[in-house]
Amino acid sequence: MITPPPANSHSDAETEKLTKPLDEAAVAAAAEPAIDTVADGVTRPLPQDTFIPVAGNEHAVFGQLTDVGKVRTNNQDAAFSFLATTRSADEWPDFGLFVVADGMGGHQDGEKASAITTRSLASHILGTLYVPMVRGDEDANQIPVNEVLETAVQKANSDVVANVPEGGTTVTAAVVIGDLAYIAHVGDSRIYLISKGAIEQVTRDHSLVQRLIELGQLTPEEATDHKQPNVLYRALGQNDTVDVDTLTRRLPPHARLLLCSDGLWNQVADSEILDIVTKHPIPQEACNKLIALANMRGGIDNVTAILLKLPG
Amino acid sequence: MPETTHFTGMEGDNTSDSALKANFVLHNRYKIMGVLGGGGMGTVYQARDLNFTDVRKLVAIKEMQTIATDAALRASMLKTFRREANILATLNHPAIPKIFDFFDLNDRAYLVMEYINGSDLELLMSKTKELPNEKILEWAIDLCDVLDYLHNQKPDPIVFRDMKPSNVMIDSLGKVRLIDFGIAKTFVSGVKHTMIGTEGYSAPEQYKGDVTPQSDIYSLGATLHHLLTRKDPRLEPPFSFHERPIPNFNPNAPAELIAVVERALAFNVTERFKTCAEMKEALERQRYRSAGVVYAPAETASVNGSTGFFEEDAAQIGTVQPKWTFKTEDEIRCTPATVRDMALVGSYDTNMWAVKLESGDLVWKFATRGGIASSPVVDENSKLVIFGSEDYTLYALDFRSGRISWTFNTKDRVRGTPRIAHEHVFFGSDDGKVYALGIANGRYLWNYDMNAPVRSRPFVTNELVIVGAESGEIIALGLSGARKWSYRTKRGVISSPYVDMNEGIVYVGSTDGFMYALDVANGYNSWRFRTQGPIISSPIEHKGYIYFGSADGNLYCLNAQTSRERWKFATEKPIVSSPIIHRNFIFFGGTDEYFYCIDLDTGKERWKFKTGGAITSSPTIAGDLILVSSMDHILYAFPLVS
Repeated sequence: MITPPPANSHSDAETEKLTKPLDEAAVAAAAEPAIDTVADGVTRPLPQDTFIPVAGNEHAVFGQLTDVGKVRTNNQDAAFSFLATTRSADEWPDFGLFVVADGMGGHQDGEKASAITTRSLASHILGTLYVPMVRGDEDANQIPVNEVLETAVQKANSDVVANVPEGGTTVTAAVVIGDLAYIAHVGDSRIYLISKGAIEQVTRDHSLVQRLIELGQLTPEEATDHKQPNVLYRALGQNDTVDVDTLTRRLPPHARLLLCSDGLWNQVADSEILDIVTKHPIPQEACNKLIALANMRGGIDNVTAILLKLPG
Repeated sequence: MPETTHFTGMEGDNTSDSALKANFVLHNRYKIMGVLGGGGMGTVYQARDLNFTDVRKLVAIKEMQTIATDAALRASMLKTFRREANILATLNHPAIPKIFDFFDLNDRAYLVMEYINGSDLELLMSKTKELPNEKILEWAIDLCDVLDYLHNQKPDPIVFRDMKPSNVMIDSLGKVRLIDFGIAKTFVSGVKHTMIGTEGYSAPEQYKGDVTPQSDIYSLGATLHHLLTRKDPRLEPPFSFHERPIPNFNPNAPAELIAVVERALAFNVTERFKTCAEMKEALERQRYRSAGVVYAPAETASVNGSTGFFEEDAAQIGTVQPKWTFKTEDEIRCTPATVRDMALVGSYDTNMWAVKLESGDLVWKFATRGGIASSPVVDENSKLVIFGSEDYTLYALDFRSGRISWTFNTKDRVRGTPRIAHEHVFFGSDDGKVYALGIANGRYLWNYDMNAPVRSRPFVTNELVIVGAESGEIIALGLSGARKWSYRTKRGVISSPYVDMNEGIVYVGSTDGFMYALDVANGYNSWRFRTQGPIISSPIEHKGYIYFGSADGNLYCLNAQTSRERWKFATEKPIVSSPIIHRNFIFFGGTDEYFYCIDLDTGKERWKFKTGGAITSSPTIAGDLILVSSMDHILYAFPLVS
């Protein structure tokens, strides 16, 4: 239904107009001494009263960690993080690309498959979305992001099929432009959205166990100590094409986006992830804690976490 | 043999290294001729039985090796193998290969069986495009027969556990033979790592360890489904057979055979056939039907099943009748508005009409100098109704009396519907401009030149005015009229943008046939969805789903996050009307002259009403009425509650 904006919307807009100039003035005041320093070429100590405590991050920040674990001899997980934050008259939004791939297959096929996948995704997505943005192309926003992600995953799939015929990999990727996340995934590497004290699994595993849960044959509790090996019904490297799930999510202020391989979520409960991420405001520290906990629980698998924290 | 299951982390796998070479004589009796096949757990050899010196007696020898390194575990596996081999050796059925011998040697177990000259169904499928449905039916009956034989073994039924195309051989006589009994399963354990590719044919309860004869029925259903549709279940999400209806892939498959397969594939054990004998009986009924008789599938759909406020009416479709109608002197193309006890509607007869909501009686009318295509918009604060006319003018009338408050002239026809927000009016004109005027007196604030007629209705948020033009451009302007971003579709945009304020996404259709989802902050395109005709109908979002019509005749329901289609409702002619949602129902008009009420969740029709002309405008809800106008000159008021 087309509904008019709420009656108080006008006053909201006005409030914002009023507050903005104040912020800008504060920022300008903070920058002033630095300009002086450059102007006369003399280094002076910063006056005490210009120190402004930083309440939050104005731009997105991220942490990333991957570990072989305690049992395996090689790390078949691959992780890729790219975050560009800009402040200029161009008013570019923050741009991020984050990828986790969990490779499978003997004889290093798994690590090759996940490596090829991150490489392939990164080059296609940055080339198609990010380069036009920094080039200042008028039509940088024209191409549907979900189609770019879909194409990138299909290319990665072809690359795996061609180069590592015996290998396979999951892939979970998020493009973040401003505060909108564009997500693509295949397999059981997950994305969680952590916001306002709650954790939500944004992706749906393409695994037999998940399917049995959805069909009511298994309860989530039964699934955790499930005797079946973890069987995926979708992965890269299995067929000429692959069915890719794509979706879009708006990220609230202060929200965290966590990408991780099953080495994390198999060992660390959602509630524990929420707890650690909330207690450690610096994303890298949170990643370190998450992986340490997975290893403490036995570290039976490779484990990877990428944590993005939105400004607010 | 095609193999889709990849086991990982099995570095100790050295099967290939230790395969028996040709001419090797096993157990002093079986001369290896070659390899017939092999999987993860063992190899099947073709061999000659040297006990028969005068004839060339061929046998198949299945070799199984355990990957268990623990001696005790290995010993127990071999013991299980011996026990199962003993059971198999006592079986006697034409579709079960005979067991001649079994022994173990160097921690490997060997089973000597009848050699079957033929090919398995998987191989047969890879060599053919389709198999005759009558053949499939015949094999299905024989498979039921052999499974029934196994299930009736005493003291315990034998469950085959692994019914799939590659385990069914078609021998040189064209008869089915079941190979690869579950015996090998004993050896498949301890694999713990992530695997890719499901077994595809197994019943859901098998994954919990509940294996019953009815699990074989499910797997037989899955095998038949694969044969009939040629869609390999190992490449699809598990247990998703019902998402691939057989007629979609095999239009000639007999309805009764389809019904049997579907019942075999019931997710719940209790809904399947109780026994293979019962399933066989159902299939045999099919075989004995004389050729040339066409059976329609059973009609099970019922319109009375669901609950809703239209229940009484829906029971007798077509009985929803207008409470009143109001006839103007020409086509009505605009969406009616309501205020207090009045409905307002503009007509191509140049008039704006105000009628009583209760009765449809005339209150006032106001004549412009051109037809009215723009929909009237009401502002309670200023007591105005605002609309455009083909006479190039935007009118603001006092809605109580129909007297002019102010007017504003553009340089071409005003066909776009205005938007009132932040005490201003925003609207587009065919002169190519978007205008912002003060609502109280029509004072000009700014215009933005889009260089092409603007007929879509602007959407105004707290920060932006978003509107599309005939050039295909969608533009976002600041409230002061400065350009923030733009997005170009390939053809004209007549559909009005809709902004989901919570998610910050703009949805807008284009006559290029796509529905677009754009980030309201910067115009980045999240997704686009292709329909088969221009989109003129404006979208609406409701609980995570997007609804809109297309000139391809369909009303679409898409998941807003993924752009996947949830359902679509087909009509005979283009849909240009924008839908409106009330409770669990969606209303819209078609150019096929019908006014439709559709169930929001299922996309199924609740009722429809035929007007005398195409419906191009959107319905309006007012209290217990829903109003819609048609090109037959008439404004209809239907009761909203039955």
